[in-house]
Amino acid sequence: MKYIQRLLLITLLPLGVIAPAAESARATIVQAILAPDAAQTRTLITSLTGNPDEVIPPLLEAWRTDQLFIYRHGETPVPVQLTGEKDADGARAALRVDSGEPLLDAAGQPLRLASSGLKAVDHTTSLRRAMKGVLDVFDIVSPDPNRRSKAIQSFGLAQDTTKLAILLERLPRETDPRVHRALREAVALIQLKDAKDEVKLAALAELKALHTLSSTDFLQRALKEAEEKKNEPVATAAKSAMYAVESHRSTVDFLGTLFRGFSLGSILLVAALGLAITFGLMRVINMAHGEMIAVGAYTTYLVQNIFGAGVTIPFFGFSLPIPGMGLTGSAYQWYFIAALPLSFLAAAIVGIGLERSVIQWLYRRPLESLLATWGVSLILQQVFRLMFGANNVQVSSPVYLSGNWTVNDVLLGWNRVFVIGFAILIVFGMWLVLSKTSLGLLIRASMQNRQMAACMGVRTERVNMLTFGLGSGLAGLAGAFLSQIGNVGPSLGQSYIIDSFMVVVVGGVGSIAGTIISAFGIGGIDQVLQQYLPYWAPGLAWVPGIGGFLQNLAQDAAVFGKILVLGGIILFLQWKPAGLFVTRSRSLDE
Amino acid sequence: MSNSTPAPDNWLARHRVELGIVAVVAFAMIVVFPLLHASGVVSDFTIRLWGKYLCYALLALSVNLLWGSTGLLSLGQALFFTLGGYMHGMYLMRMIGELGQYKKPIPDFLVFLGWDRLPAFWEPFDSFPFAMMMVLLLPGLVAYLFGFLAFRSRIKGVYFSILTQALTYAASIMFFRNNLLLGGNNGFTDFKFILGHDIQASGTQRGLYVAAAVTLLLVYLFCRWLGRTKFGLVQQAIRDGENRVLFSGYATAHYKLFVFVLAALIAAIGGALYVPLVGIINPGEMQAEKSLEAVVWVAVGGRGTLLGPILGAVSINFLKSWATRAYPDLWLIILGGLFILVVLFLPGGLVSLPARLKALGRKFTKPKAETASPETPASAPTKS
Repeated sequence: MKYIQRLLLITLLPLGVIAPAAESARATIVQAILAPDAAQTRTLITSLTGNPDEVIPPLLEAWRTDQLFIYRHGETPVPVQLTGEKDADGARAALRVDSGEPLLDAAGQPLRLASSGLKAVDHTTSLRRAMKGVLDVFDIVSPDPNRRSKAIQSFGLAQDTTKLAILLERLPRETDPRVHRALREAVALIQLKDAKDEVKLAALAELKALHTLSSTDFLQRALKEAEEKKNEPVATAAKSAMYAVESHRSTVDFLGTLFRGFSLGSILLVAALGLAITFGLMRVINMAHGEMIAVGAYTTYLVQNIFGAGVTIPFFGFSLPIPGMGLTGSAYQWYFIAALPLSFLAAAIVGIGLERSVIQWLYRRPLESLLATWGVSLILQQVFRLMFGANNVQVSSPVYLSGNWTVNDVLLGWNRVFVIGFAILIVFGMWLVLSKTSLGLLIRASMQNRQMAACMGVRTERVNMLTFGLGSGLAGLAGAFLSQIGNVGPSLGQSYIIDSFMVVVVGGVGSIAGTIISAFGIGGIDQVLQQYLPYWAPGLAWVPGIGGFLQNLAQDAAVFGKILVLGGIILFLQWKPAGLFVTRSRSLDE
Repeated sequence: MSNSTPAPDNWLARHRVELGIVAVVAFAMIVVFPLLHASGVVSDFTIRLWGKYLCYALLALSVNLLWGSTGLLSLGQALFFTLGGYMHGMYLMRMIGELGQYKKPIPDFLVFLGWDRLPAFWEPFDSFPFAMMMVLLLPGLVAYLFGFLAFRSRIKGVYFSILTQALTYAASIMFFRNNLLLGGNNGFTDFKFILGHDIQASGTQRGLYVAAAVTLLLVYLFCRWLGRTKFGLVQQAIRDGENRVLFSGYATAHYKLFVFVLAALIAAIGGALYVPLVGIINPGEMQAEKSLEAVVWVAVGGRGTLLGPILGAVSINFLKSWATRAYPDLWLIILGGLFILVVLFLPGGLVSLPARLKALGRKFTKPKAETASPETPASAPTKS
């Protein structure tokens, strides 16, 4: 209570009125309602400033919207709030303002009152202004730190000098470090408007120490103003504060780029791992690999609908109704977990079907397998289009995959963090399967020397089938994840196929470690180029003839960066034609 | 590859049938068909459609020169085709003059992008000879640079295919951008004049068709000739066993680079002829699937032959024109299925069908009279 009183002293001194000490927010409001003159009412309401009681906003709101009335029963007037639906007589439920309890009659039954028979509590413009002042700073004392810092930031950004006193008062009392920082920033921003140079300099020093990204505009304005007034020391301080902010910003940008590079690398890795098996180990060029990814993504879509309201799939004139379980809430959120193994299975089954029907005849003819699987890819794309429509389908993110993490101004999307973790997990899983299981042993044996393995009694046909199924299943698993990051449509696979092949070729065909390194390398370089190309673009002006043209093009960082990456890959293959890690072989034509 | 060995004395005899067919079809396509059009029997639409097929046949021949004769499966031929088309398209865009939507002396899309004068690199395209030179120069240069890098580091087989596809992909995403100042995803369209003639006029369309048909005939004859030279033989040797050729002292990279550039030029010429006939060029034409489609034509027609690719390009596009109208939903499934069937069951393509049928017939009619003569399809490239 003590600090409220001190606060009142600060805020009310200009009025020259000492407010009576209030017992509670409700009591103060009752007093204010019953106060004989408007000035006293206003004083009492203003005295609520800084009171964190949650009842204040709804009561003041009710007052402002004419929901408060004075009920006279005998001598004592009782302020009541009418709420709820009107009944046939126009009467509504009445709550006592002083306690929040229903108003009871003599028999102890809740009373219902009609507003027509009561005197409404009136309000003047100046009273409403006082209420707004109370409500404005109400969030600052809210127990929720997020609400507090948001309110504080809004004062700072508005450079609202009238709020300076209350912010200063809160400063030593704030315990949450994040809110405390926001407070310091807001105070400094407001003080930046001060006429006195020493206050300004102190504020600039504070902003320099805080180097928050949101202060850039204010610093720029302060610098311009100081330069216009030829105020040397302030201008220098503003410059140095701006420098601190800029260097912080470049650190944040760099870390953000690094994170995005990692997450793009993980996406590429997840998409390319299946290919590293089918292309890398089996030497089958599966142009339908992208469609295996799409099978996984569509499976996720189906599972989501089965968990939800169900869906009807049209197919060649038939329509196949798939009933939903109609789950809601947290049970529904589990759909994604259920979709993971199912998308693996679905893609693996499609893959095994593809292997049995087409690829098994083409093991010795890589170019032909490329062409035939491209035919398969066309068919599958059209099948998706017929079954799920030519447009993208909606795959919603479960709560545990949406949202962000902000660490030191660097924004980390949950789904991207998850993809990084997931990539690590399946690389580990794949390593386990390939090196610790008997299936892995058979796979490696058959891939290294098919004839010799067959001589030893390995059923290489079956191993081929299972290996291809494993590679396709991994692609399906990738699809489940990519459904959380990008769009799910019939041409989903097409957008990943070229990147996936690039990753495997650069990494060195047949080398899983190479695939991992090249995925992160390509992802990182791509993101760095996207981030920094616009800064480097002016440097392209020197190129004779097409300098301006290149500059223009480099502004399109996403596309130009991608083109540079592809060009870089071609140059890289000059240096290492077989990719990063070469699998040695005695055969001449490998 | 017994039928490819040079034996000048009986070469004409062995190719009598093929050359006869070519002579008759060429006469029909170059003389009879345009005459029918001039007399009004054949509509403008039909002659434009067939002109388009013939341009695609040029593209197919370029794919075949690489894949059929040299064993290089390029998935980037549509890029060179489109580049040639763009170079010609730039000339045609300049010829619109002030007849565009905005009535400005520069192409509409530039006005739309906020330009008030022509970018410097557009200016020389007012000249037809310059545009024609660029039709050959730009695709040739791109092919030379890419081929030089790829063949120098001995990238071959599927790696080469994947890299050419990546090249096409990179180019297509670039051409889709407005910043390239080449029309973005709308590309070039609404052409008005070519060399002073109204491009929509019947006579102009007929002239363009004849140009495409004559070019196709010339390219066919050129490829025929090339296949008979020593160069053509080295080409086939590279296809059938590159390492042996290399160890025999031939610089295979140079041969491959030459063929790659040559094929790019043929594709570019096809593209340049295609644009005025069809009246539009946009980056959609250079997407990866277009290149693969051209490979389908060659595979279905018969790779390694010269009639096969032409037959494949014309027949599949004819089928496409019909199927996309009759069964729009099923076209891709038909195309994909056709591809799988041809790869699995008919590696020699359509042109090998007569020989296969003959062999089959012999087997049934005289099962014991003669030992089954080994059937040699026109192309049976084996990897050593």
